[in-house]
Amino acid sequence: MKEIIQLENISFNYGRVHAISNLTLTLPTGIFGLLGPNGAGKTTLLKLLLGFLTPTAGEGEIMGYALAEKHKSLRRGIGYMPESDCSIPGMDAVSLTAYLGELSGMPRQEAMKRAHDVLYYVGLEESRYRQVDTYSTGMKQRLKLAQALVHDPKLLLLDEPTSGMDPNGRKEMLELIHDIAKKESMNIIISSHLLPDIESTCQQVVIMNKGRIAAEESIADLKKDNFHVFEIKVVGEQALFFERLHALRCQVQENEKAMFKILLPGEISPAALFNAAYETGVQIRHFRQSRTTLEDAFMNVIRESDGH
Amino acid sequence: MDIREKGYSHWEGELKTSRYNWLPIFFNGIKTVFKKKYAKLIFASSGATFVVFLVAVYVSTKPELKILGELVRLLKSDAELFKTFYTNGFLTFMLVILSIFSGADLISTDLRFKAFPLYFARPLSRSDYLLGKFSVILFYLLLFTLVPGILLLLFKMIFTGSLAVSPMLLLAILVFPLLECVFLASLTLALSILSANTKFIQIAIFLVYMFSNNLAHMLKAIFKNDYFFLISLQGNIEQLGSFLFGLQPTHVYPAWLAVLPPVVISLLAVWLLSWRIKKAEAGS
Repeated sequence: MKEIIQLENISFNYGRVHAISNLTLTLPTGIFGLLGPNGAGKTTLLKLLLGFLTPTAGEGEIMGYALAEKHKSLRRGIGYMPESDCSIPGMDAVSLTAYLGELSGMPRQEAMKRAHDVLYYVGLEESRYRQVDTYSTGMKQRLKLAQALVHDPKLLLLDEPTSGMDPNGRKEMLELIHDIAKKESMNIIISSHLLPDIESTCQQVVIMNKGRIAAEESIADLKKDNFHVFEIKVVGEQALFFERLHALRCQVQENEKAMFKILLPGEISPAALFNAAYETGVQIRHFRQSRTTLEDAFMNVIRESDGH
Repeated sequence: MDIREKGYSHWEGELKTSRYNWLPIFFNGIKTVFKKKYAKLIFASSGATFVVFLVAVYVSTKPELKILGELVRLLKSDAELFKTFYTNGFLTFMLVILSIFSGADLISTDLRFKAFPLYFARPLSRSDYLLGKFSVILFYLLLFTLVPGILLLLFKMIFTGSLAVSPMLLLAILVFPLLECVFLASLTLALSILSANTKFIQIAIFLVYMFSNNLAHMLKAIFKNDYFFLISLQGNIEQLGSFLFGLQPTHVYPAWLAVLPPVVISLLAVWLLSWRIKKAEAGS
């Protein structure tokens, strides 16, 4: 499989803050979710890929172009949907999309024709002649997707694509991404903190934590076998019980009053939970194995990369 | 079947590689300025000087007409005529208004609406972006200086029936408005990037024009030294005009020195613009 992104020991600092540290990443063609807690370095990584930032160390290639070189050629093949609420005021959506298409190198008439097409595709056909300043948040998100698609890029970088959208809009946006991803010639990287969005659109994820890659695998593998999830309800002295669970490298999340979600490492038997309860004088009143979600897997990866 | 029903469709065309990536910004800027409210009023006012000088050139060929006497006397010297046309207070004032009108919001609006990621995610360098924006202001400034200057020369030839023009004068007619407009456009663009608030930028440009001139006059009156006109926008334009048209300097200091402030300000503007855009690009 051909690699679209190859990064080796990339670092980037904002002054004294290490935003990206010795990051090595190889992504083949396809659709990838980029996950990570706030400040993990996701947006910095996207900016490095776009050439907005120059790495302080390391080297890499994107679509065959060396990182931090030949930005113009590289950006011709990239479509970027920024997270921030950005627009160029005083223009209607068609003019804006066509204008940005032209800036990407499309001939003027072709850009105008294509602008109509992509605006129709993202669901802005009715309001394409409206001034973009008057657009709602959801419409602006669609417009940002349209401008990223107008020049038909090989690599699409989507930064929080459903941010600020209502449930219906969010569903439609995810459907659009899903549809675009079906075209095998388009590679997509979606950066989002909304795990269900990633789960519904991607099969592969890259999880970042503290400027490093914490995991890079398929969602299925991530959720498989390396830990079990149980829901338990306990009565008694919980503090000692949980202390014992932490010693077993379990992760404990409180779901509701006295109901807890326990992430148990795969190599430890569930019987260890009962032993711990017995030894600390706690009664387990409810015990159920739960379906492993991407959120559970994500929490587990972050915990492990934090060294807990 | 529409595109949504059939799913995402690829574009079959080929992206162009061009050295003129800034051209779409230029054309879009021209269109945007032209569509603004009061555009026609400002353009008409900016063109008024040309009409007055055109009438004066015509009257000078008809001794029986006794209007615009003062101005007509100037026409005896071509250099004086064109220097006065380019550097007269009203035209300079209108050029400042035109700079505010066409350029104050060019970058400040992009800053306010966080448009940089939309521009720079494309094959566009910082210099392409700046050149595109710069060319918009330059276009409108030259439209009311260089273009009427050339037209005035042509009409003068037609009215007098003589094609004789000295090469130095022709050079001055072409070079002076270029220098003046590059200076004003750089200053406008440099101020435009200082804030996301367009009103603030408009006031700042106007204050630079008013304040620099008044301050120079005040300092000259106190210290009896003409060198203070080096800080005046109007003073420098007048002195530069005298220098290029080979006339007696308006102020008592070497005329070539008048080239320095515009050049220094223009270079400073380019540096400031590049630095600010780089910062905004990284933070976008």
